[in-house]
Amino acid sequence: MRGGRPLPLSLRVPLLTVALMVLVGIIASQQVLTTLRNVQNERIRELAQLQIEALSVALGPLVLRKNVWEVYDTLDRATGETHVQRLVFTAVADENGNILAATDPRRAPLDSPIRALARDAQNLETLSIPDQGTDIRLLSDLVYQERKVGQILIEMDVSDLLAARGKAARLLLIGNAVATGFLALLGYFGMRRMLRPITLLVRHMRNSGERPEPIPQTDMPRGDTEMTRLFRSYNSMVSSIEAKAEADKRLANRERFVSLGRLSASLAHEINNPLGGLLNAADTIKTYADRPEVVRESAELLTRGLGHMRDVARATLDQNRLDRSGAVLVVEDFDDLHLLIRPEVSRRSQDLDWRINADQKALSHLAAAPVRQIVLNLLLNATEASGQGGKVGLRVSVLGGSLHIEVSDSGPGLSKVAAARLLGNGPASSEGGVGLRVVHDTTCELQGVIRLNRTDGMTVVTIELPLKPGQRGDKC
Amino acid sequence: MISRRSILMAAAAIIGFPARRVGAMEVFRLGLTPVFLDNDARVVDQLREAFADTLGIPVELEQRRTYEEVTGLLLEGSVDAAWLCGYPYLQHRKSLELMAVPVWNGRPLYQSYLITGPDNTATTLADLRGSTHAFSDPDSNSGYLVTASDLARMRERPDSFFKRTIFTFGHRNVVRAVGDGLVQSGSVDGYVWEALTRTEPDLTKRTKVISKSEWLGFPPFCTRADRAGEPAIRAMRLALLDMGKTAQGKAALDLLQLDRMAAAQPSLYDGIAKRMRELENVF
Repeated sequence: MRGGRPLPLSLRVPLLTVALMVLVGIIASQQVLTTLRNVQNERIRELAQLQIEALSVALGPLVLRKNVWEVYDTLDRATGETHVQRLVFTAVADENGNILAATDPRRAPLDSPIRALARDAQNLETLSIPDQGTDIRLLSDLVYQERKVGQILIEMDVSDLLAARGKAARLLLIGNAVATGFLALLGYFGMRRMLRPITLLVRHMRNSGERPEPIPQTDMPRGDTEMTRLFRSYNSMVSSIEAKAEADKRLANRERFVSLGRLSASLAHEINNPLGGLLNAADTIKTYADRPEVVRESAELLTRGLGHMRDVARATLDQNRLDRSGAVLVVEDFDDLHLLIRPEVSRRSQDLDWRINADQKALSHLAAAPVRQIVLNLLLNATEASGQGGKVGLRVSVLGGSLHIEVSDSGPGLSKVAAARLLGNGPASSEGGVGLRVVHDTTCELQGVIRLNRTDGMTVVTIELPLKPGQRGDKC
Repeated sequence: MISRRSILMAAAAIIGFPARRVGAMEVFRLGLTPVFLDNDARVVDQLREAFADTLGIPVELEQRRTYEEVTGLLLEGSVDAAWLCGYPYLQHRKSLELMAVPVWNGRPLYQSYLITGPDNTATTLADLRGSTHAFSDPDSNSGYLVTASDLARMRERPDSFFKRTIFTFGHRNVVRAVGDGLVQSGSVDGYVWEALTRTEPDLTKRTKVISKSEWLGFPPFCTRADRAGEPAIRAMRLALLDMGKTAQGKAALDLLQLDRMAAAQPSLYDGIAKRMRELENVF
């Protein structure tokens, strides 16, 4: 994973523009300097060729006769009459390479070999100005009447050309830096301006948290530009998301009613079961009204059955009343849940493992209604998933400042759709387990955490609900 | 400051000073060589005009590169007179006659100087063995004969004694060649070296004199012996001898750093003749 926060698009694009401009500036400068270097090289070659040709014409017959003084005098006069001291040194040798004369005789003594001075000398065809140094050296044949009669070594001062090259490079550097900087600023602000709608779009998307908010009509770009169309599409998308969210909400409410429906069915079954016994007891009383022991026994049976029905009715009333009362969670709430789920468990001949290990003090940090809703929904789904003769378990404990609620079942495990409904934040599908989205949303409201595990053939859904407000965070 | 142009103008004044008409001669031709006086086209033009003004007839200055060429012009009659060196005068003594000789520092004499670069450690001619040497002209007394005859006394020849010898055909050029380091030593006219010390001190400063010859006869103005009696030649001789008596002529002599012109006898050049004999006898 890369460190640091990536730069926003509104900075990256202008900065990329600046970088490209700098790159173009560098390439353009390099091209100009290369052209200048080539022009200078061509000029110095032309100049050197002219010098060599002029010296060959003037010195040819003198070199042929090996007239030392005339060669020297000609070189000396030529040097003295030159206004621009481009040619700083000239040496002339005979055909054997021995110096006849030079503009600086002490440097090139008479009869000394010219090759001693010709180190690093270039030839006319490839003569070029190096990047460093002030002089260039050229060794050429001295041709007279189409015959090589000697050699000429010339040294030319190119410091002015190098200075011009350096000056051009500096001016280019400064000019390009200023121009590039100016253009880069223009580009930066231009790009910022062009990307302003994108920035606005991003801001609206960020400001809304999970729910994007539409862009007001006053902020819409003028005309039918790409941005205008993009903004309209965005607003349409926002509307769609809002509609979807509303649909999810309605679906969640429906799930709540579905849960209640299933619960009601269980309750009806719970009431229906003892109802037959009660009617039999009533018939027995009527039949054996004269037998006090039978009446008494039947009356007790009636009392127990009606008591059970009263408890079931009370638990059901509590389940609905607590939604509005805001009462805190108590241990008895789990007894109620046990009472409510037991008919479903019994109907499916399931094995219920019920362990409540939480004290009242810890439970009192939580509201009763949402916790009961979470546990009831999970238990209903667990009984559904476990099937006939399966295993269903509830384990409640307090660990590390959180209430841990584990609902396990021996079913085949949650499908991907059901797991997504339970764990995900995305749009809820209408398929999957009943009330799982209610569990998810309610847990999120309580800033809790949901975990789904599958071990030893058991599916375990763990809900961790922080007990203290300070520990609660945005867990979902 | 005295320039070479001034010296040439002074020479022109010397030659052209006598404002005499020279009879039937239509043009007077004077031979010059840059061996003694350096060449300058503008000065030659001024000389020509000055001579024409003083002699009353057009004057042509015939310049040649060497003494040999100028002497040849004189002997064949292409020029009426010439400023030569004592050496070529003696070489053609039977055919030539002295017209006048410059007087320098009170005497019609000068010396030959042996010069080297200022950093050269040589103090005598013998120390210059194996070095490079510049002569002015093979027919120059001070610029060749003196050194060659000195070497002859040492049973040496210039070509073998020196590593290389060059001829510059000009005393000033000898000073340039030595001063610029083209050669290590040179044989030069002492009068020219001294005159250059005053007019171009930066040039002679780059040389030093390591030996001087004995005093020898100054380079004379000569004419052909068989023409010495011609009016124009006589007029030129008188003009030369009298030039120190007028302000214009005196100014010209001052520019040349000469005192005056004097009549000369052939015996003035006995010293040069002696050296010629020594050179001939050895080789």
